[in-house]
Amino acid sequence: MASAGQTTGNRPAAAAFLAAALVLIYVSFVLPRLLPGDFITAMYSSSHVVLSAEQEKQLRAELGSDTSFGRYLIRLFTLDWGYSRALQAPVSSIVLAALPWTVLLVAGSQAISFLLGFVMGVEGGWRRGSPVDRGLLGSMAVLEGIPEICTGVLLLAVFSYSLGWFPAAGAETAYTEMSFWGKLKDVAWHLALPMVTLTAAYVPGNYLLVRNSMVLTLGERFIVTAAAKGLTSRRIRYAHAARNALLPLVTRLGIRLAFVVTGAVVVETIFSYPGLGSQLYNAIEQRDLPLIRGIVLIASLLILSVNCALEYVYCLIDPRIGNVR
Amino acid sequence: MKRNVFISLALTAILMIFLCPPAQSEQLDQIRIADGKGDWGYPNPYLHYPRGPGYVRMSWVFDTLVWKDENGFIPALAEKWEYDPTRKAFVFDLNPKAKWHDGKPVTAEDAAFTIDYFKKHPYPWVFLGNVERAEASGKHRVTIFLSKPYAPFVSDVAGTMPILPKHIWKDVKDPRTFTDAAAFVGCGPYRFRDFDKAKRTYLFEAFDDYHLGKPKAKRLIYVRSGNPIMVLVTGLADLANITPDHEPVLKKKGMVILHDKCGWNKKLMMNHRKEPFSDKRFRHALCHAINQQEIIDKAHRGYGTPASFGLLSKDHDLYNPDTPTYEPDPAKARKILESLGYVKDEKGFYSKDGKPLKLELLASTITVAGEKVPDRDGEVIKRQLEAIGIQVDLANTEQTLTDTRVKKWDFDLAISGHGGILGDAKILAEMISSSVGAGSVNSARFDANPELNELLQQQMAEMDAEKRKALVYRIQEIYAREVPAISLYYPAGMAAYNSKKGIQWFFTKGGISKGIPIAQNKMSLVR
Repeated sequence: MASAGQTTGNRPAAAAFLAAALVLIYVSFVLPRLLPGDFITAMYSSSHVVLSAEQEKQLRAELGSDTSFGRYLIRLFTLDWGYSRALQAPVSSIVLAALPWTVLLVAGSQAISFLLGFVMGVEGGWRRGSPVDRGLLGSMAVLEGIPEICTGVLLLAVFSYSLGWFPAAGAETAYTEMSFWGKLKDVAWHLALPMVTLTAAYVPGNYLLVRNSMVLTLGERFIVTAAAKGLTSRRIRYAHAARNALLPLVTRLGIRLAFVVTGAVVVETIFSYPGLGSQLYNAIEQRDLPLIRGIVLIASLLILSVNCALEYVYCLIDPRIGNVR
Repeated sequence: MKRNVFISLALTAILMIFLCPPAQSEQLDQIRIADGKGDWGYPNPYLHYPRGPGYVRMSWVFDTLVWKDENGFIPALAEKWEYDPTRKAFVFDLNPKAKWHDGKPVTAEDAAFTIDYFKKHPYPWVFLGNVERAEASGKHRVTIFLSKPYAPFVSDVAGTMPILPKHIWKDVKDPRTFTDAAAFVGCGPYRFRDFDKAKRTYLFEAFDDYHLGKPKAKRLIYVRSGNPIMVLVTGLADLANITPDHEPVLKKKGMVILHDKCGWNKKLMMNHRKEPFSDKRFRHALCHAINQQEIIDKAHRGYGTPASFGLLSKDHDLYNPDTPTYEPDPAKARKILESLGYVKDEKGFYSKDGKPLKLELLASTITVAGEKVPDRDGEVIKRQLEAIGIQVDLANTEQTLTDTRVKKWDFDLAISGHGGILGDAKILAEMISSSVGAGSVNSARFDANPELNELLQQQMAEMDAEKRKALVYRIQEIYAREVPAISLYYPAGMAAYNSKKGIQWFFTKGGISKGIPIAQNKMSLVR
């Protein structure tokens, strides 16, 4: 019965997500159009090239026209995301070239901060009031108040500039022949500081959320029952208390993952790390509408997909949610 | 004894090897250049972005007839050239050793073809309106006939126009979609190998058959970094643009610091097509209200030079030292405003006919030589104008938004800036007249003074250097009196490089091509 209920309950949800996807496609099409200025103005107006009125007219005719929503939609369904005016390449190829770096950096940092925040939060909540808890709570509260830009600059100054242990920019040593393992090491070496910066930004929130949830959960009767049954403290902590404390963290992770595309612009800028965030920033500056649309659409669909996935993850973590109608 | 002498000689030899910079004949493995944005389009005339760094990347691959170094014009594809006034023609003798990257020889046919091709498919960097035709009069002699004398020809055409290989481009109908490997076959010192759009890096490889000599580095790599200190100190880059704040640190680290001449100016644009800016006296009041040195001191910690009100740089060969100037004088500014009928209210702000004198000032982070340079110019100017009694709404906006509004004349005051003021005096026509500078938001597009308009045209057609100088002097005088836009200051243009690689970088006299103030002249890696 439960599964049947879930299936019928999921139909309107799927329809709602589909409708939301269509709205997002429309918004991603219209929104960039509302930006003041156009590609020709952005590229040429204050450049070294002084266009005559005739040259400008000609360029506008060649590069200034925009597509209609109908055509855009048809192209999308044929997997044609358009052509970047500035980079002279298909939008899909630009997005696909930048996406892996963004995913590596942001999803990697999210995963690490999720695990760290979870374990530290569980342990801190379990040991509430102990010196370990007080130390963690204090340091995390301080870390939560430090913006990414400060952590990034500090890490660069110490580990790159002063000690020379890590590179100051980029995602890999450009144009260097290396073995597979050498390349892997090089990528990890470049990734270290940006990833630590982002992880440091994400961990405190995760920790505080889990700790507080743990503190509330540990006061529940089922925890007392579990202890009375003689379960080990680790089992009580992780199988009973932490599982219930996990739900808010998953929600937070979902919200954070939704910003995987644009959430790392600051870190991408500080470390000159490639990614969709800085690509979007450049595209907006250049009024490269097809590229803006492509990245905005990817970001919007990702938010939608994450929300959609969370519906199912919630049911897995807490089966009671699946039974609610 | 003999043994000691031998050991001494051996030690000396070893020391010589390790202490001396690499000999000229030894090719370095690579040179790395960093810049903050990284992405400047593909290095081909139709695909590079229309900014200095885009042109410079293209210049490694494509050669022009003439080039410039730190002292002025030098031969590039053309060994020599001369102007024949009777035929109104420039005659260029090409270097017979020049080859395309695919091994074919560069001929006069290619140069003549390029003119025809650019006439058909305009390359916005080169104005060919005064070029009638080009003729290959021999395998290596090309004659370019002008429809009327054109003084900026050597700088803006011969020194800027990349020569295209006829055998490749003759069949290209749409150059903007031509992105095959063949689109990057040039005759410059480097071949284009890769542009990574995600990482925004470029790879060029030496063209060892380059007619002016084998390039000094096998590979030229551009990397992206907005932090020049970091990349220079950690060895990720050998050359980068820097700001004055970076100088002491980089000097300590043994980097060579290059200082450019005044080739870029920050300007205050005024909407002179509407009241009150259409009145020259009001513009004079603003000039006296603005203290150039104070802007430099407060917004740039003293790094910069007050600009000439005549637009051309103070370092330009044709700079008129007698250009009228406006001393900062708030009392005089107030006096002018009061003579125009403005009266002060109880708060100390001017109004006229009951309407307050309130102006909007647009400010944005402007790209200087390819690097974004945030500043506080807007705040300082606002305070200076408010000090004399003009209310100012400061709007800090994104550059394209400011540009769009300036272009449409939908603004009062806007902070803007441009380079090229050390290049050919054609910049005066581009930055003053709407007939030449219609497409530029940095151009005052000012046509209200017929004498000025006439002189701007005349100086472009004057092939006699002395006569042209007199015309350019006069233009600066008139422009400074009209002040349709106020030149504020020249920011300090700097670059730093690692001298251990044995390359001597330099800023080009008059800037690369049309005045690009970037120290990445290809001759640094050739001579």
